Amino acid sequence: MSLLTPHVGSQLVDLGSAVLLLICFAIVAQRRLSACVDLFALQSVFLAATAALVAFLTGIHHIYAAALLTLIIKAIVIPRILRKVIERLNVTRELVMNVNVPAGLLICGGLVMLAFFITQPIIPLGFLLTRDSLAIALAIVLIGFFTMIARKKAVTQVIGFLVMENGVFLGAAAAAYGMPLIVELGVFFDVLVGALIIGIYTHRLQDAFDSVDTGRLTTLKE
Amino acid sequence: MTFLFAGILGIYMAGMALPLCFPGRPRIQNAFAHGLAAAAGLVGIGLGLAGLFAPEPWTASAESTIPFLTFAIRIDPLASSFVLIISLAGLAVSLYALGYVREFYGRIPVGVLGSLYNGFLLSMTLVIVADNGFFFLIVWELMSLLSYFLVVTEHEKPEVRYAGLFYLIMTHVGTAFILVVFLIFFQQAGSFSFEAFRNPQHVLPEGMRTLAFLAALIGFGAKAGIVPLHVWLPYAHPAAPSHISALMSGVMIKTAIYALIRVYFDFFGGQFPWWWGFTVLIVGAVSALLGVMYALMERDLKSLLAFSSVENIGIILLGIGAGMTFQTYGLKEFAALGLVAALYHTVNHAMFKALLFLGAGSLLYATHTRNMEEYGGLLRRMPWTGLFFLIGAVSISALPPTSGFVGEWLVFQTLFLSFHVPTVLLKLILPVAAAMLALTGVLALACFAKAFGISFLALPRSSHARHAEEVPWSMRIGMGMLAAICLLLGLLPMVVVPMLDRVGTSFTGVSITDKVVALNGWALAPVNVEFSSLSSPAIALGLIGLSVLGLLLVAVFGGSAKARYYKTWGCGLNLSPRTEYTATGFVQPIKRVFSTIYQPTVKLETEFLEESHYFSKRRLFETHIEPVFQKYLYDPIVTFFSAMADRLRVIQAGSLHLYLTYIFLTLVALLLMAV
Repeated sequence: MSLLTPHVGSQLVDLGSAVLLLICFAIVAQRRLSACVDLFALQSVFLAATAALVAFLTGIHHIYAAALLTLIIKAIVIPRILRKVIERLNVTRELVMNVNVPAGLLICGGLVMLAFFITQPIIPLGFLLTRDSLAIALAIVLIGFFTMIARKKAVTQVIGFLVMENGVFLGAAAAAYGMPLIVELGVFFDVLVGALIIGIYTHRLQDAFDSVDTGRLTTLKE
Repeated sequence: MTFLFAGILGIYMAGMALPLCFPGRPRIQNAFAHGLAAAAGLVGIGLGLAGLFAPEPWTASAESTIPFLTFAIRIDPLASSFVLIISLAGLAVSLYALGYVREFYGRIPVGVLGSLYNGFLLSMTLVIVADNGFFFLIVWELMSLLSYFLVVTEHEKPEVRYAGLFYLIMTHVGTAFILVVFLIFFQQAGSFSFEAFRNPQHVLPEGMRTLAFLAALIGFGAKAGIVPLHVWLPYAHPAAPSHISALMSGVMIKTAIYALIRVYFDFFGGQFPWWWGFTVLIVGAVSALLGVMYALMERDLKSLLAFSSVENIGIILLGIGAGMTFQTYGLKEFAALGLVAALYHTVNHAMFKALLFLGAGSLLYATHTRNMEEYGGLLRRMPWTGLFFLIGAVSISALPPTSGFVGEWLVFQTLFLSFHVPTVLLKLILPVAAAMLALTGVLALACFAKAFGISFLALPRSSHARHAEEVPWSMRIGMGMLAAICLLLGLLPMVVVPMLDRVGTSFTGVSITDKVVALNGWALAPVNVEFSSLSSPAIALGLIGLSVLGLLLVAVFGGSAKARYYKTWGCGLNLSPRTEYTATGFVQPIKRVFSTIYQPTVKLETEFLEESHYFSKRRLFETHIEPVFQKYLYDPIVTFFSAMADRLRVIQAGSLHLYLTYIFLTLVALLLMAV
């Protein structure tokens, strides 16, 4: 127990956050859809671990509940739904992207710098152990958003959306020791319903256009 | 009071939840939804009466976590009178709906319909009792949305969807103006509570007062259906199921009247410049006259009733406008009389318009058409519906001894008192308004003579009408209850006026009961018994006496009273449904007289036999009246917005990625700006 001084604890939380960011880059670089889903599940596992660590360090119990829910919903249930969608659609890899992989990685690097640049004036104002993670959380949100723009397949867009949500969760846990439990529950429910809806929407897209390329939606205009 | 209010809240909520618990079993859903709504109506009548006679307004409130929002309730005499209206109509309409909704079994999810119905009634009640601007706006919006969903119940028909959309847009434009009103008050008072709004210490600057007055007139006027914001009524009211139309036309548009009285007499404390009352008066007179003129031309019975609602809202506004004018000049007794007259007509209209819509619903139920040209001869087949519809029609035409007569008489007397006003312009305008009201009354009589005559008399015009049957008991009970109320309101004004006077007293500070109820309660007089007076029991007795006298005269001088059944004499022709007056034909003279307003167009095409031009093979006759407001006011606005939307389409490429990029760039730019 004596090993886990506040300083070490804070370093561990930073480490966890850094792993989450690294996985984001892996998702951006990965073309295979099933691998993307696996990476997302992995990221969620680390997110749950980081949240549990925060809970342990601060002794705030309801963050444990949030961590457990993260594990169940984001690491198990949603990846399962997404795998089913991929299986049914028979789409395994993404061949054409709006932004190719090297350029995407460069842009993501820029986004991380942007996130650190923006949060620089804010972080010294905080007084929590975990305040450094805020920059990383913002970077994850931005990268998630970028994934939604860069990819064409609906499934990867869902993953981008979920990554964004992970970033928001990390930011809340790190910068404010989590949101009230009722808010967390609401958000989890939203994410689950969102994933379900997008899953169904992907099927409909496939039925209507014989493709899950959301770029085809432009034909809906007129 | 606490118990009664909690009771209403609980029963309506149960009525919203329980019907949804029995999917696929429409009979149970129907029983729960409308049975509970009827029970809540009964409790609501109790609450309304208790609130009306309570010495002090009853209040309750619950804080919320949202800033400025408090769930505050206040039941003062004005609110009580409207709770009473909603509950009375709600009770009768719920009983009616028990039978009427059977028609929808299997076609429409009755549970959802019933649940929405309860929610609609609850939201209307909450609008009336809300005592916080924020809370009011929430329940007001809720009421509008729930009624929208009810309007589009039969959404598989394109015209219903169009009507719903039209209604949704109009009601939201209105809400925008209402928001302006509350924000103006909020800015000055620093709180959304109505208590702060009516606090005389926060006097609004002159410009803001004017803005708030106009915004309230437009915002609530759009809901009430004043000309030229009335265009949604003839679309939305006929599109809804009939029991919903009855509530919308009879009750919902009255919530706007309530809100107008609340804002003008309560928040502004009755301090008006002279032109406010004048404006309301003009709006009322124009609405009344144009409303009835368009009603007259309708062949769709429910559209006719919807236009007639515009007319009656106009009559109510005449009373309010006259009251406001008298208030300006400190003639408090007359102001109270104006309010009482307006409220009396509000109660009346809620009752007879609900009754007439239920009657129209019964005809729809029996014949499956709303077109009056396909009715005819229904009195013989549906005697009860016919009797109740007749009572409603007599009442709305303001004939004694029914309620409409007393209400309009009071409005007339208020307008006649204008010679007490010191301004010459108003002295001239008020009698002109009275003259317009007189014209309105006559045209309304013609309109309902047509509605009743074409629908119920003569021979059936179609096979629908030939095969019509009387409607089920519960529907007849609902209509019968409203018909009885119409008669009672007409016979016992001396009981009703003191009740409504409590509302007038709460705003003007003077009670006029002693002066209006004259001759030991046997007659009404407009403040001054020498000026004029009215005794409705005496009129009723006189009417009964005259009919007995008529029978007596027949018995004495009429010879044989034996009934002989024979064909009507038709000058040697065989009479058939084709020789009857049609609804269009009946009003043809009026269309000619007022052709400036109607701008009718007639198209006549004749196809002759090839051999001779003296014989025609086929004739086609088409006639239309110009929808002036739609053509010259709404169409240009719609065209303008469509053109704007076309231009904006450039940035709407329809690409998901592009939209995401917009959002992303905005986000990054904002973040950078924050640094």
